[in-house]
Amino acid sequence: MALIEAKSLRKVYGDEGAETIAVEDVSLEINAGEFVAIMGPSGSGKSTLLHILGFLDRYTSGTYIFDGKEMSEYSEDELAHIRNNKMGFVFQAFNLLPRATVLDNVKLPLLYSDIPEEQWSDMAIKAIQTVKLGHRTNHQAYQLSGGEKQRVAIARALILSPQVIFADEPTGNLDSKSGQAVMETIQRLNEEQGHTIILITHELHTAEHAERILTILDGRIDSNKKVAQRRRTTDVFEK
Amino acid sequence: MKLRQLAKTATAGLATNRSRSFLTILGIVIGITAIIIVMSLGQGAQGLILGEIQSIGSRVIGIVPGRQPTSPTDFLSTFTDSLKKSDLVALQNKSNVPHGATVMPVVFGSEAASWQTNTYQATLLGTTELFGDVYNVTTDEGEMFGADDVTGLASVVVIGKTVEQKLFDGGSAIGEKVRIKNHTFRVVGVLKSTGQLSFLNFDEAVFMPYTTAQTYIFGINYFNRMVVEADSVSTVNETADDIKATLRNDHGIIDPSKDDFFIQTQESAMQTVSTILNVLTLFLASVAAVSLVVGGIGIMNIMLVSVTERTREIGLRKALGATDSNILSQFLLEAVILTAIGGVIGIALGGFVSFLVAFVLSHAYGLNWQFVLPWSAVALGLGVSSGIGLIFGIYPARQAAKKSPIEALRYE
Repeated sequence: MALIEAKSLRKVYGDEGAETIAVEDVSLEINAGEFVAIMGPSGSGKSTLLHILGFLDRYTSGTYIFDGKEMSEYSEDELAHIRNNKMGFVFQAFNLLPRATVLDNVKLPLLYSDIPEEQWSDMAIKAIQTVKLGHRTNHQAYQLSGGEKQRVAIARALILSPQVIFADEPTGNLDSKSGQAVMETIQRLNEEQGHTIILITHELHTAEHAERILTILDGRIDSNKKVAQRRRTTDVFEK
Repeated sequence: MKLRQLAKTATAGLATNRSRSFLTILGIVIGITAIIIVMSLGQGAQGLILGEIQSIGSRVIGIVPGRQPTSPTDFLSTFTDSLKKSDLVALQNKSNVPHGATVMPVVFGSEAASWQTNTYQATLLGTTELFGDVYNVTTDEGEMFGADDVTGLASVVVIGKTVEQKLFDGGSAIGEKVRIKNHTFRVVGVLKSTGQLSFLNFDEAVFMPYTTAQTYIFGINYFNRMVVEADSVSTVNETADDIKATLRNDHGIIDPSKDDFFIQTQESAMQTVSTILNVLTLFLASVAAVSLVVGGIGIMNIMLVSVTERTREIGLRKALGATDSNILSQFLLEAVILTAIGGVIGIALGGFVSFLVAFVLSHAYGLNWQFVLPWSAVALGLGVSSGIGLIFGIYPARQAAKKSPIEALRYE
């Protein structure tokens, strides 16, 4: 059974008479361990779809089954709990706490988990090493470059080994070199650690890291294609 | 989420905005400081006044003519002539008041005393030879007038230290003649200086036999007051009851509500004073409490600003797994920590100011003023300030908790 299973999802914003349809009749399946990219122009509804899949937003109609259970059957607290330990989020705007250290930023999800506090530092340091920022552990977030900030965000997303990591244009605010470093990190999480990745981008070369590209147009799925020749970014950190 | 982690998160939130946090708690600091000062000074004043009452002696029972004043403007009720010589005789009878060791009538007024060209406005007290024992005063020079002087309407006086200094220009007063109301009195004794004692300064008083004072000075045949000293502290209440029964019998009173006298024991006087001072303290403290409400609204205002400013942070925390109650607790705890810190600072500041006041009053003014910081005030200060954090923090915290994660994340 697929990890993510959506049928006829529809999301409408606004009041009656002034409605905006953001997502219309979207059905999709994503298996555990898959790397899927969602592409589409601005305003196509790709971010809204990602937010729905990540339990950050609710759909108007349709069904969405995550990990074998329909979203509407979860209570608000259960949704928060799943966001905490089964999902990881990476945002275009990083969303770090600027005055907190890298270590504390990465620890943030643990605050809302059941993991005993004694283990927090070890887990955070391991996650920071995974994104190759060990030398920045005790820096404050605002002191880092954009690419480093995004890798901190990735470390924060993977600290609880979630089943799926949602990345919303993670390279959108980065120069190409920093973007490559971020993509190499995401690619490694998928290949080496088996994390399911759902990535939003409007750059084809970024999307081509995925196994499959979903294209969204005006809220609907326009195409769903396997990537014939996956792009690989390697050795960024060695350069 | 454990309380410790919650507290850490909340303090981190506050620490990022130190100056604002400080200004926010200022209102609470001022309010709590005011309450602590009022309560501490109230206790200090109470201690001072109760100490004065205690100096009368715990065995002393006062009998006041007239009925007990029912309101502050009811003082006219005390100017009556219900205590007479027959009452004195009845009270002196051991079969009526077995534990009354001493019975002493008192008449008093303010009269000018003069010697040669000097004049002094003194408090004149007509009593018996026993007043020295009852009030624990002794003579410095000369001696007290005796029982014979009382029965014989002798024209003798015992004067306080200040009276001697003012009238006799530093010379000795013993044997000298002073004039009061066109009558001449021989000074037989000068009291040791006592200072202010139970609302009366003996240094500024002139004492004479009550019979003399009734006849030559006031022209009355009743007493302004009577003082009975019980033989021990444990028999004070019993003696007070005996006095009432004796006087009612003597005055032909059957209904106690028609009493034309009332009894003051040290205990009842202390109770009355304590009640008055407690009410006064409470009143002043509630005035100060108004500023706490203002401070609380300040807290609410700033917390609302903080919630708006940190909308993205709230969204992020929710995206990372924070539940509504996690967010609610965090912001509520921030408000409570703010106000509790304000409370602690207020208690310290209020305690310090009260200490200074007590220090100045006792050293510069020579009052027997003790610095007290009542535990009730500390507990009240902490309780009230934290309570204000809870009450005024709940609305902003709820606003924070009910934000949808994605709308909060999108907030610019």
